[in-house]
Amino acid sequence: MFVQTLLTGLAIGGIYALMAVGYSLVFSILNFSNFAYGSIIMLGAYISYFSMVKLGLPIGVAIVLSILGAALLCYLNERLAYSPLRKRRASSLFFMISAMGTAIFLENLVYAVVGAHFYAFPEVFTKSNLTYRGVSIGVLDVFAIAFSFTAIYALHFFLQKSRTGIAIRAASYDIQVCGLNGVNDKHLIGLVFCLAGGLAGISGTFLGMKYIVYPTMGWITNKAYIAAVIGGLGSLPGAVVGGILLGVTETFVSAYVSSVVRDVFSFSLLVLLLMVMPTGLFGRFLEEKV
Amino acid sequence: MSGPVLELTGVTKLFGGITACKDISFTLPKGQIMGLIGPNGAGKTTAFNLITGVYGLTGGAVKLEGEAITGLRPDLIVRKGIARTFQNIRLFRNLCVLDNVIIALDCHETYLLASSFLRLPSVRRREKAVREQAMTFLAAVGLEDKAATRADAMPYGLQRKLEIARALALKPRLLLLDEPAAGMNPEESLDLARLIRKIHEDFQLTTLLIEHHMDVVMALCEKIFVMNFGEKLAEGSAEAIQRDPDVLKAYLGEGFKRAQHTIA
Amino acid sequence: MWQYISGVISLGLIYVIATVGLAVFTGFTGLFSLGHAAFFAIGAYTAAILTYFYGYNFYLALALGAAAGGLVGFLIGYPTLKAKLRTDYFAIATLGFGEAIRVLLENLPITQGARGLPGIRAYTTLPVLVVCTGMVMMFAWNLIHSRHGRASIAIREDFVAAEMMGVNIFIGRLRSLVFSAACAGLAGGLFAHYYCFIQPSMFSSYMSTQMTAAVVAGGMGSISGPAIATLIFIGIPEALRVANIWRLVAYGLILVLIMIFRPQGLMGYKELNMDMIRGWGRRIRKAVGA
Repeated sequence: MFVQTLLTGLAIGGIYALMAVGYSLVFSILNFSNFAYGSIIMLGAYISYFSMVKLGLPIGVAIVLSILGAALLCYLNERLAYSPLRKRRASSLFFMISAMGTAIFLENLVYAVVGAHFYAFPEVFTKSNLTYRGVSIGVLDVFAIAFSFTAIYALHFFLQKSRTGIAIRAASYDIQVCGLNGVNDKHLIGLVFCLAGGLAGISGTFLGMKYIVYPTMGWITNKAYIAAVIGGLGSLPGAVVGGILLGVTETFVSAYVSSVVRDVFSFSLLVLLLMVMPTGLFGRFLEEKV
Repeated sequence: MSGPVLELTGVTKLFGGITACKDISFTLPKGQIMGLIGPNGAGKTTAFNLITGVYGLTGGAVKLEGEAITGLRPDLIVRKGIARTFQNIRLFRNLCVLDNVIIALDCHETYLLASSFLRLPSVRRREKAVREQAMTFLAAVGLEDKAATRADAMPYGLQRKLEIARALALKPRLLLLDEPAAGMNPEESLDLARLIRKIHEDFQLTTLLIEHHMDVVMALCEKIFVMNFGEKLAEGSAEAIQRDPDVLKAYLGEGFKRAQHTIA
Repeated sequence: MWQYISGVISLGLIYVIATVGLAVFTGFTGLFSLGHAAFFAIGAYTAAILTYFYGYNFYLALALGAAAGGLVGFLIGYPTLKAKLRTDYFAIATLGFGEAIRVLLENLPITQGARGLPGIRAYTTLPVLVVCTGMVMMFAWNLIHSRHGRASIAIREDFVAAEMMGVNIFIGRLRSLVFSAACAGLAGGLFAHYYCFIQPSMFSSYMSTQMTAAVVAGGMGSISGPAIATLIFIGIPEALRVANIWRLVAYGLILVLIMIFRPQGLMGYKELNMDMIRGWGRRIRKAVGA
């Protein structure tokens, strides 16, 4: 039972880690919580669902389409809803409202246009299990863990080795100085949103496959925020660790205590952490310069 | 009232691996204007933030008129009688000039929340009195005709004056001015120096001044404390500091000539 | 016909009471409450349970409903505001609390869970509503124009500077939160005795969203602005018989568009006054006549 719960926790933790990294990418550069991220994740799920069901495409293609589609949508979100505010140097309150507005708009647009039906992915490998010594794990979960970690590792490689990746890391410390050193910050921000969107596509697809596709599934991004706090705000490795930790602890709570309490547990954990240890595990302590 | 208004003893602040302030000690007697100078990054504004409680101290102690204020919440320290202005102006930009000063005056008002809800006659009286007082503070810096203007709609020099008026309205025992002449040309700086001198005389206000405009510093300050890399570099009268070889080397420049300006 | 119109006005006034309270918190103090419907629900259930099961006097029940809302606001606000959370994480925490309250309401025996409470007496009449709305707006106006209100505004404008003006940030924010929660509680009690049936699903994020959208659209420095925006948000869809879903799509779009094109909302920092009305009259006459 313990190992079983652990494995399930790791699977969901991998997805949380993906979401948390996508969220932290944007957060670390712009110091802004993209409340609309959840709706991008949701749209990623819908794109892969409809690619597979309506267009009959194979799963690999569907995932690629979802990554590309979500990246595009995330980029457009930034261009249309956030960059006008950035040009005006609006306060963070305005960014938050714009993000919330986007989220509400997208979710309800899907509700209105597509409908409130819950869509279940066709059973690609959702039902098959691998069993070893009495412990079974869904093939989907294995796939999800593998894909998540591959994506995260690829991102890590990109950030460490490529020129653009280094620019992104520099920007996460000080975007203005980055601009002064010749980095085109508009392009950089656009690229970061594309990357975050890509991650959203993957996580949305796996969430949809593991659970179900519905318009308000984006609210699960709250877990991403919590994971980012656990790992430490502004830290990408922290987001990964936070995501996995959250997934595992949540699953244990759900299995050993009660599943109703699961979300209340996560939010309480968030508030507790923010009160007691706001820097999380790897976070940078950002004191405001007065 | 014999003791100094402000006393720093061994004040130290570490930010992770960076020592912003190390073992800073000085006293500021009542009624004096003291200058705090040094190159950028020397730790001057950090010292202000430590005195006002915005940053917590890593070591040492701060006393206001003999009373320890180390570790107190910033708003409590303000209520005990310290007012400060900011290096980057921090006015309430969307509010009008008068409201900026009124908020400072609110600090000393005591009517109850319940009275506010009901807007009792006593509240109405206090509100009227506060508005009138705010106007007198605006008049003290020459801004009374701008009372209804939005704070961020005013030119830079006037915004700085509003910051000072707001600080005065807190009726402090100690005034901390952080680069009040920043961004001003020589004429404006001298104008400001005259204003600070006038305020000092009218209100008998003990003042600690961070400034890079040496003409302002030398004209106003009886005593100067020099910081460099978070530590004390020198301390003494304006004349002594201008001759101190360490200060000249680190900050003023070896070719520095004694300030020629005097203000009326 | 009058029956229908008075019904719409009644519902509008109920929401105006809740929104004016939220305007003090979000508009004047600058913090988001994404789960504000929870306070509405607490007021509704408290007042309904008191009149339905215990035969309390209506007005006493209303007062206790408001007090219950305020008390919960205090209990939630104390730890989260003391921790000085960033604005975005505070918003996320309020989401969590909204969730927690909903879970609670669905699982307590006295609230009869998801089935809800039917058969509540229709004590809320239009005259009662008009008086309550007038009172709440007067209290809100008095608060804003007192030293307590100004302290909240200072906190919103620049909390570092506000602290340097002797404002206790924590108390200022807590005060606003308790006031807005009490207003929502009062509105909830009035709602329960108007609609005569309540169940947890009615107090969803849809309601919180609508209230926040009305505050932003009305202007975040005004009392009358959000009130007018609420009446528009309730009135126009009723007039056009537009379905709920498209209403939300519109709210989302409105939020983003307002942030980009008119961040001060309808009223900005001003209240409705005679000069404004005369100004509109002049413009309308010019457009129609000339």
